[in-house]
Amino acid sequence: MKRYLQALSILALIIFLAACNSEGSASTGNGEKTVIEYWHVNAETQGGKTVTQLVEDFNQQSDTVEVVAKYNPDMYKGLMQNLQAEAAAGNSPAVVQVGWSFLNYFSDNFHYVSPQTVIDEHFPDDKTFLQDKFLPNVMDLAKNGDGEQVGIPYSLSSPVLYINRDLLREAGLDENGPKTWEEVKEFSEVIKEKTGKYGFYMQEPADNWATQALLESNGARFITDGKATFASDEGIEAYQLLRDMVVEDETALHIGWDQGIQSFIDGSVAMAYTTIAQRSNIQSNAQFDAAAVRSPGWEGKDVRLPAGGAMLSITAEEEDQQKAAWEFMRYLYSVESMAEWTKGTGYVPPRNDVAEAENGLKTFLEENEMMSAAIEQMDGVVPWASFPGDSGLEAEQLLLDLRDQILGGSISVEEGLKSTEEEINELLQ
Amino acid sequence: MKINRTAEVTWHIIFFAAVILLIFPIVYALGMSFKPLEDAYNNVLNIVPFQSTLENYITLFDTLPVLRITLNTFVIATVATIFKVVTAFLAAYAFVYFDFRGKNILYFVLISTIFIPFTVTMIPNYLIVSEMGLLDTVWGVILPQLADAVGIFLIRQSMKNIPLSLIEVARLDNTGHWKIMKDIVLPLVRPAVTSIGIWFFISTWNEFVWPVLIMKTTDNYTLPLALQMFISVEGGTNFTVAMAVSVVTMIVPLALYLTFQKYIIGTFTSSGIK
Amino acid sequence: MSTLILVREKLHINKENALGYILLIPSIVIFAVFTFWPLFYTVYLSFFDWNMISPSKEFVGLRNYFDVLTDPRTYQILGNTFLYIVLLLVINCVVPYIFAFVIDVVLTRLKGFYKSAMFLPAFISLVVGSILFTWILNPVSGPLAIIFGWVGLEIPNWTKTEGWIIVVLSIITSWKVFGYNFILLYASINGISREIIENARMDNIPLWRIFLQIILPMSSATGIYVFIITIVQSLQYVFTPVKVVSQGGPDYASSNLIYHAYHEAFVVFRTGHSATISIITMALFLLLLFLEFKFVERRIYYEN
Repeated sequence: MKRYLQALSILALIIFLAACNSEGSASTGNGEKTVIEYWHVNAETQGGKTVTQLVEDFNQQSDTVEVVAKYNPDMYKGLMQNLQAEAAAGNSPAVVQVGWSFLNYFSDNFHYVSPQTVIDEHFPDDKTFLQDKFLPNVMDLAKNGDGEQVGIPYSLSSPVLYINRDLLREAGLDENGPKTWEEVKEFSEVIKEKTGKYGFYMQEPADNWATQALLESNGARFITDGKATFASDEGIEAYQLLRDMVVEDETALHIGWDQGIQSFIDGSVAMAYTTIAQRSNIQSNAQFDAAAVRSPGWEGKDVRLPAGGAMLSITAEEEDQQKAAWEFMRYLYSVESMAEWTKGTGYVPPRNDVAEAENGLKTFLEENEMMSAAIEQMDGVVPWASFPGDSGLEAEQLLLDLRDQILGGSISVEEGLKSTEEEINELLQ
Repeated sequence: MKINRTAEVTWHIIFFAAVILLIFPIVYALGMSFKPLEDAYNNVLNIVPFQSTLENYITLFDTLPVLRITLNTFVIATVATIFKVVTAFLAAYAFVYFDFRGKNILYFVLISTIFIPFTVTMIPNYLIVSEMGLLDTVWGVILPQLADAVGIFLIRQSMKNIPLSLIEVARLDNTGHWKIMKDIVLPLVRPAVTSIGIWFFISTWNEFVWPVLIMKTTDNYTLPLALQMFISVEGGTNFTVAMAVSVVTMIVPLALYLTFQKYIIGTFTSSGIK
Repeated sequence: MSTLILVREKLHINKENALGYILLIPSIVIFAVFTFWPLFYTVYLSFFDWNMISPSKEFVGLRNYFDVLTDPRTYQILGNTFLYIVLLLVINCVVPYIFAFVIDVVLTRLKGFYKSAMFLPAFISLVVGSILFTWILNPVSGPLAIIFGWVGLEIPNWTKTEGWIIVVLSIITSWKVFGYNFILLYASINGISREIIENARMDNIPLWRIFLQIILPMSSATGIYVFIITIVQSLQYVFTPVKVVSQGGPDYASSNLIYHAYHEAFVVFRTGHSATISIITMALFLLLLFLEFKFVERRIYYEN
């Protein structure tokens, strides 16, 4: 009997603890503050700390709004999955980060309100905030296929070329790295020959961001008038170069993103083409002379680099929530908060005046040279290709499958690009 | 009984190899959790950290309310395990010792749930939990996990091994079902109950897909969610802190196992069925 | 004997059997709400073209089934699914069976050590295992690649190579579940009467025959459980390494039916296709389960 009493009391204790737990969370909505949820994707290695800090600071100084930040693992895709569940349940957070490749999908399927609408209705003082503080081409990044302003650019990244200067020197190459893709190929051959190491790695996440930079810089276009057009001669030429490095020369690596970065940091690969968001990871862990240089172009052509990162969009339904959302966003877009954001994440500030401002990033940029490559190339930034319509994400997926096929050597570049383009255009109809 | 020496040595070699394969990743994770990330990247072969550091653990404890999170995880895993075992035991008892209409079909239907992809249940369950206002609570995580067909399956297998005559004799004495369950059946199926309990506990402890959906605030996180905070494809995974989280995540189940090891192993090896 | 029959009849009394239903109520209620209701909903969704949130939900009849069944990719993924199952059945059912037998019956020393050591990885989550193995098995920079490099060997580029990716993901999954299956089988074999085994050994019956003719049948109740649970593991548990390591790639070479259902629902947001794949998966495994019930269950050895 005693044993059962023991077991019973333990069970009671556990249930009691569980009850405490659930109450603890319910009590956040105390006082008259409007509680809003802010959904982000920033892991601790990618600005998570800064998010926590900014939210805490905001809550401290605001008498009316209390922000609860929710971290969503697995980047913007993970956030979109959770948002889908939330929407199906009829709820919505107030402010969400939406990755660029989800721009059209998000605006087609979710309720959102354009920030300017909220400003016009409730905050006459901020009427020209967006116009004054953001460059038009940057604001355009957050416009969907129909030209609506879905959100405000928040995290901006662009791909840069990280180089291992020690290896370049060892191979007798220019330590400032290659300027063009043709040079990237030549450099890689020399590196392989002289040092036995791999020359190049291009990031392979579950998106086509880097591929778009490579192809569009050569004059190809992913989308023209709502149709896929990447299989042009320029597109084929550009993809062919990457494929040849991987399949023919075997001077470039074809592995997962984490592994590729691991191999760059430990000195097994001389050059890595990846996002500026990897800066702090590379800067603090590489033991060689590491640098970041501007994204390579193609001989005689202008670079076109898709903007990475995300925008902030207002998904709040109630009026007071929407108001609170803008108050919070206004705080996030202040020069000081933007500067903190860049320091914590490595993203390029979307506001035009942060980089030079004394209370902004001036000293930070002087100390972190790697950042300058990303900031300098901002004039070459274009929107991330986001296929329109219900099948947009499927189209994106087809391009990913194609990457595996081409770099795995199972299909020729020309055949692959052409048939995938056809398939996508059939889907988009 | 004669023992073939060479055969035994060969087997020992095979088992040692297997043990090394199984243990090496754990030792590696443990070593990495005490290394600075830079060191981990550049000296992958040094399992034992030369310049050992607690910085990964400090980062972890600075970033998150680890004790609170551990408690959440513990509550979820314990409550879910208890419920799953109890419901499974009752169901198995019904399937073995009662004859009722539709028994076999019912058994088949319940067992078939182990093949249902979680994609089927995820969104509808989220709607239910949301409707009940249990989002961001441990109960929201626990609720859909109160029964598990795997448990019914294993405990039923074990019960079928109990000689029916034992039960029949007890029934002849007009012993009540409750008493039979408690005094005759439960002691005899204890190995099955223990092993399925361990399995439920470990899998709920480590589960992350469902809690990710339900939990919002860090105070309500579970340990596997904490791990997710240090994994990022875009900013780079903080491998060493991730390993520190893994070590912390491992500690409680391992400590529980070691505490009850004698009992558990005892249960397994002295099962009443001979 | 007649009393036994009497009791058996007694067990059939209606009042008695009502209790059987009552005992099942907790399980049935929970399953009804959290499993069967979603399942019916999924069946319903498999006839629609929808993305879960859009206000427009288009009824398409059997078109999803037609799409899925005519898609060559479905069969590629079905093939992968069975490859996972076969691999995991060998690594996590056959091997631990033999291990458990040898450690219990043949060995005299280190039994306790093996039991504890092999069980240890069961405590670690598959997410951790996936990150860990991705790091350790990095084909260029991982510790294993470096050690192989000393003797001039290369690790295959497994994350991007068809075939290898399934093998490695199976190893990751096995790493976690091996010990648990092993302990279960060990306990079951340990429960078999020593006398029978000793007698057989006295008669100089070779070990493999003892295993096949005594151990296997007498531990079959647990054996069949481990067999089924291994299939479940290779269907459901494989999901985590697939998601963390390869996202089904390269070009679906590591996707299985469960991951594919997830991919359709939560990556490209085709709820209808995902529902259809889930239903087909269920139907397929129900058929297998049914066959197991019909042909295997009867031959299982129970002590009574």
